[in-house]
Amino acid sequence: MQEAVFGRASSLKRGEFRGSAGEYFGIWIVNILLTIITLGIYSAWAKVRRNRYFYGNTVVDGHSFDYHARGLQILVGRGIVFGYIVVYNIILSISPIAGGVLALLMLVLLPWIVMRSLRFNARVTSYRNIRFDFVGKTWGAVVAIIFGGLVSVFSLGILAPFASRWLYGYIFNNLRYGDRAFQTDPKIGALYRVWLPAFLLMVVGVAIGAFLGMMAYYGFEGVDESMAEPEVQIILAIYGALIPAFVVWAVAAIFYRVGVRNVVMNATIFDNRHRLFSDIGRLRYFWIVLSNILVSIVTFGLMRPWAAVREHRYVITHSGIIVDGELGDVVASIQNSGSAITAEYLDLEGFDFGF
Amino acid sequence: MASDDTRIAIGRWHPPGSSRSEPAILLAQGKTLFVRLENQSGDPVSVNDLTRVDISTRVSRIPRRIAFADQSLFETEDNDAIDLWLKRHRRTGVVHELERFHPRLAAMVMAVALLAVLIYRFAVPALVEIAVVVTPPAVTQWMASGTLISLDKAVFSETKLPQARQDEIRAAFADIARVSVRGPDAYNLNFRAGGAIGPNAFALPDGTLVVTDELVELAENDLDMIAGVLAHEIGHVEREHSLRQLYRAAGTAGLIMLIAGDVGSAGEDILTNGAALMSLSYSRDAESEADRISVELMTKAGRDPRAIGRFFEKIEQKLGMKGDSSFLSTHPGTAERRKAIDDYAASIGTDGR
Repeated sequence: MQEAVFGRASSLKRGEFRGSAGEYFGIWIVNILLTIITLGIYSAWAKVRRNRYFYGNTVVDGHSFDYHARGLQILVGRGIVFGYIVVYNIILSISPIAGGVLALLMLVLLPWIVMRSLRFNARVTSYRNIRFDFVGKTWGAVVAIIFGGLVSVFSLGILAPFASRWLYGYIFNNLRYGDRAFQTDPKIGALYRVWLPAFLLMVVGVAIGAFLGMMAYYGFEGVDESMAEPEVQIILAIYGALIPAFVVWAVAAIFYRVGVRNVVMNATIFDNRHRLFSDIGRLRYFWIVLSNILVSIVTFGLMRPWAAVREHRYVITHSGIIVDGELGDVVASIQNSGSAITAEYLDLEGFDFGF
Repeated sequence: MASDDTRIAIGRWHPPGSSRSEPAILLAQGKTLFVRLENQSGDPVSVNDLTRVDISTRVSRIPRRIAFADQSLFETEDNDAIDLWLKRHRRTGVVHELERFHPRLAAMVMAVALLAVLIYRFAVPALVEIAVVVTPPAVTQWMASGTLISLDKAVFSETKLPQARQDEIRAAFADIARVSVRGPDAYNLNFRAGGAIGPNAFALPDGTLVVTDELVELAENDLDMIAGVLAHEIGHVEREHSLRQLYRAAGTAGLIMLIAGDVGSAGEDILTNGAALMSLSYSRDAESEADRISVELMTKAGRDPRAIGRFFEKIEQKLGMKGDSSFLSTHPGTAERRKAIDDYAASIGTDGR
């Protein structure tokens, strides 16, 4: 199927997204309807269909990805998470101390959960009959998430590029496609170049937040009407002050995240020779996110499928792989494919890593 | 294989556990599926009975996977051909039929909107009522003691009110509690120095009431004013407002989380914040209800039913609070609230004194 290549010519193969808003609209509305009718149980199967739609329409080099998780696996995972949240909230309202212990336990378990969820997501993803895998250990997640998080928080974000480097190093250096490995080595200088504009934005955001926060605090002292639950008033003051700052912060986060994605993907090598590729425009991407939100609000959410497809298409067409020579045939590491997948049913939201 | 092979679809075949891809044809003989490489007449490369293959369910136009037991895979974009063949041997996907872009999707949009409104209007309130009824008193007691302990540690300090003043307020409070639905034993009045919270009073769901020194000082010698505030707090306890609000917030958040996966993260944020605003307007209703109960209890206890309104006026003067009701407020504006109190006091037949 590959054309004859002489020498080691490199060629960029961009991703291609074949989905359409009209098709996804049907999947989306049926997902919501069935989720409501089944009191939420269908939401697990809804996730499978949604992911299968997006993965299956993501095409690289003439082949699409596929998503193999089963609704039941996700339902069990969600049940565990939901149960934990319920128990946590009940215990928290009965005894704040026991609740604190439970929250701390969650923090201790977090790296393990992240590791398992990266593994799950990798193992349920396939391309050309071969599944991905994630071989990271819990300790690596401790370094990448806990230490990285602490370092970037205590340095007020100044050392965030180091944290990003650890995190993406942990993700990509442990990612496998069949018997082939990924390697990444994002340069810290390049990460700082994408960090700087985001950081400047953030400084502005913090300044605005501090100003409004002070206004709200003194306003709150004066207003102090009485009668209500005081918690509500404090929460309101915090809300009023934090929303504008949060918006600036979210913008900075989008800029940084997209910049880091470009740097990391461009520094990632597959099978020792093929290089991943990403050239997402930060301003363009921000515009897409912003206009998507506005359009979704104005249409009462009905244009949400259009927005999701639009964002996805932009990301996919600005990602790819620079093939050095040709993509060789990859063989599955058999021991990982069959049995391991059925053993993993811990699916946790929020840690999805997309291609 | 014999000549009655049915040709189903053309596609690509991947050998077991390999990414190699070859053009191939999917054929069937009875319930046996097999794959033959294009332009090759040798043995089929994969053969399995229908029960031993895993055919992926249809999702729009994405390529169909037919996984054989030996981990080889046939992939085709000819979904219709697969469905046509499957229809003769097994059921096909109902969900995909629903999902197709079709005028009937408009009906589904309507159904979703209708269901969402029904749930918000009826199911959530009903569940809240059920939850309030089944919550054992022990749980509300634990919640209340936990909250009071936290507040004592964080903001409050010991009251500095003279014992005589405390006794006086307790006596006035006992008058009101006696005419309340739950009776005097259901309530437990506490005095605290308010700290950052300032002049305030609040009720915990188990009937624990807290009034701050600052509020008592603000009322000066107007004992009715303090009594009116406490009657308002009794109203909150009687109608179980805090418990209701808690369940309501939890219910709405749960509802959003449930369908959130298909709303998108930005939409989820908007909905959650929208729900917070909604629960604020709900809390304004709760305030008005507590105001009315204050008027009723004060009337029954033979005290000035408009005292609570006077208290709002005082607070407004003292703290320079603007009277208009803002969207982001848990409390109705003072002016409109006073008027509602006066109107209600008049309607239940007392003109104040």
